[in-house]
Amino acid sequence: MAKKDTLLVLCECGNNIRDKIDLEAVRAWALGDSRISQVVSHELLCSSAGKVFFTAALKKFKLRHIIIAACSPRAHENTFRSLGVKAGVNLADVNLANIREQAAWVTANKEIATQKAITLIKAALARTEYHEKLELRSMECLTDVVVIGGGIAGMEAALLSSQAGRKVTIIEKNIALGGRVIHSEELAPNMECAPCLLSPRLFKIKDDPNIRVVSFAEAVEVVGFFGNYQVTAQKKARYVKESCIGCEACFEVCPVSVKSDFHLGLGSRKAIYTLFPGSIPAGAVIDRENCLHFKDGSCAACVSACPFAAIDFSEQDETLSFSAGAVILAIGSETHAPIQNRRLGLGLLDNVYTLAEFERLANSNGPTQGRILLKNGSPPSAVAVIHCAGSLSAEGLPFCSGTCCVMALKAGEFIRKQIPAAAVYNIHDRLVFPGPEMQSFFDKQVAHGTRLLKTPDLPSLTVAADQGQLLVTGKNLQPLRVDMVLLATGQQPAADSGKLADLLGIERSDSGFFKSDHYFLRTTGSTLDGIYAAGSCLGPVFADQAVLQAQSAAGEAVSRLVPGRQIELESMTTEIDPELCGGCKLCVSVCPYKAVSFLADQGVCAVNEAICRGCGTCAANCPSGAAQAKHFTREQIDAELEGILDD
Amino acid sequence: MTEFTPKIVAFVCNWCAYGGADNAGSQKLEYPAAVKLIRVMCSGRVEPEMVMQAFRQGADGVMVLGCHPGDCHYRNGNMKALRRFRLFSRLLAQFGIHQDRFVFDWVAASEGKKFQTVATRLAAAVQKLGPLSLTGYVRQGEPS
Repeated sequence: MAKKDTLLVLCECGNNIRDKIDLEAVRAWALGDSRISQVVSHELLCSSAGKVFFTAALKKFKLRHIIIAACSPRAHENTFRSLGVKAGVNLADVNLANIREQAAWVTANKEIATQKAITLIKAALARTEYHEKLELRSMECLTDVVVIGGGIAGMEAALLSSQAGRKVTIIEKNIALGGRVIHSEELAPNMECAPCLLSPRLFKIKDDPNIRVVSFAEAVEVVGFFGNYQVTAQKKARYVKESCIGCEACFEVCPVSVKSDFHLGLGSRKAIYTLFPGSIPAGAVIDRENCLHFKDGSCAACVSACPFAAIDFSEQDETLSFSAGAVILAIGSETHAPIQNRRLGLGLLDNVYTLAEFERLANSNGPTQGRILLKNGSPPSAVAVIHCAGSLSAEGLPFCSGTCCVMALKAGEFIRKQIPAAAVYNIHDRLVFPGPEMQSFFDKQVAHGTRLLKTPDLPSLTVAADQGQLLVTGKNLQPLRVDMVLLATGQQPAADSGKLADLLGIERSDSGFFKSDHYFLRTTGSTLDGIYAAGSCLGPVFADQAVLQAQSAAGEAVSRLVPGRQIELESMTTEIDPELCGGCKLCVSVCPYKAVSFLADQGVCAVNEAICRGCGTCAANCPSGAAQAKHFTREQIDAELEGILDD
Repeated sequence: MTEFTPKIVAFVCNWCAYGGADNAGSQKLEYPAAVKLIRVMCSGRVEPEMVMQAFRQGADGVMVLGCHPGDCHYRNGNMKALRRFRLFSRLLAQFGIHQDRFVFDWVAASEGKKFQTVATRLAAAVQKLGPLSLTGYVRQGEPS
């Protein structure tokens, strides 16, 4: 025999329920039910007076189960559960029967609506018999942050996290911070000096006691979950001690010269090198592949040249480990320069460059110290920029990066600044200049002389060497003779993004960039809680957006990971009964959060309740009934079904 | 003989489909009163056995409604449910249950109108088929 231990609270919801459902009939039925002990009603339970009334009723009757026949639990389940918990009632024991949205508002006939309301209450009652207590759970968390990638986004995320008092580790793959912004001389649309923008921030990071920069390093393992991550990084030996200040005395004596990655292969560096003067860290690195000491032991010129005795050939690679509550990914993107661009002369003809390469030529820290020159050393008198090179095509990038048009027009400004008489052509089909700033930048460039040549047949363009110049031809285009051709190439995911995504267990979008947890609401959250992403690793962005995303990612991380405060966890998680589990791992494969793991030593699966969000998909897939979604167990749902069909 | 009123059970996910039904309510969009909801957190929680249990307990029609693809609150539970119930609906005839008694569909929290349409359509289809009488497993049942 069922216990009479339920309090039924009827809400009239003004006239919304009162006029559509015969609440007196409901009350009369309820008083005859074997489980309902008390029935009370209020005209508007969610009002201030209603809440006081509700709390008073809980305290007066002290019954185990509370069923509120009112509106949708989506509206007020939390309201009444919170009040219930305050009054000492368990979370699981406060439940709503939605007689407003599901009966009063959708049923014209009052008698039928009343009958349906009673059925809905019966269903709520039926499952209470199987209710088990739900726990309000929380967990201690680590509040430090690991940032992977030290470009403008990673630097911003680190600075903001530090400002909030968190310890930050930046793991940078390159030998120093700066990312791709430092490759530019000026940033459009306002032509702000990029090194001037970055330099003070680099020094701020250097002087920040909360921030540790681990450069020349890569993350190799990440384990854990939101609030408790362990990141392992492999740090390469620099063979130059931290006492190096980057004075470059060794550069002069080093006999080895190799192509510089920093100059995108357009310039050279020595086997001992820094990324750029004034980099952070400032110290040089010996390139083990090319250094003669490592090749055959024949050279130690740098050792004697160094005024600080900083050279140390015995340095070893290191494995470092960091604990953090959150990881912020800011690994950037790469220039997309596909093989198809060979018909545009890329890699085949002199004086054909991607825009990224051109930025190096125009940069005062570049291989020509900023002078825009042809291979023969003279300045170009005519330059063509070909838009959408490799983009918007099935064999190249299938999308518009949205950033190349602006960079393409910026090239014209760089050229005219040095060579005022030079002719600059932009061969394009579509143009993208979103917002007033970009539009006025575009208008200005056109006013200053950039000529636009529109053709709908961009894929038909070819570039050929012709009498010491370059000839651009194609359908619907007058053949164009120029000295230099620049390709406005798009942005593709960084080479490491696949490896990193696998390491972390996060998803990537079809284009290969890291996938946002939610396009609108959690752009900078990855698909795993506590792993954030910012900048162009989420998709091509300008520096301003990269900074905003970094602020968003760091902002969310530090506002959720607060020293001394626990992280609230889901109450309605899934549990796996090890007695029933057969270890088939179906649950492991369907969990969208990687919350379930297989315990090899015990041969069973287990849910990490710090990660589980309670969707119950694993429970539905469990063939043995070992996995049970709390508050949505088979028993509870079967009972509810019985109730709902009992009329 | 009393007139047949089909009983319909709708398994709805908390975030989208339940919201869609709420939205139908807010817009006062009437649908047959015999359509009743069982809320789960995600359509991925719904087991085929639950649907069978609903039929056994007297439902004449059952629906499982989740978030549209890409909208799942739990990333992709709805797609897990889709895979499960595509197969399931093909097996129904073996249990003597006409395929038209079961519907799997997507309803967004904003789609009150769609909830009303789906619910009304299933009720009408079941009305036409008449009451379900389950006599046993694996038999030549109602023609599909």
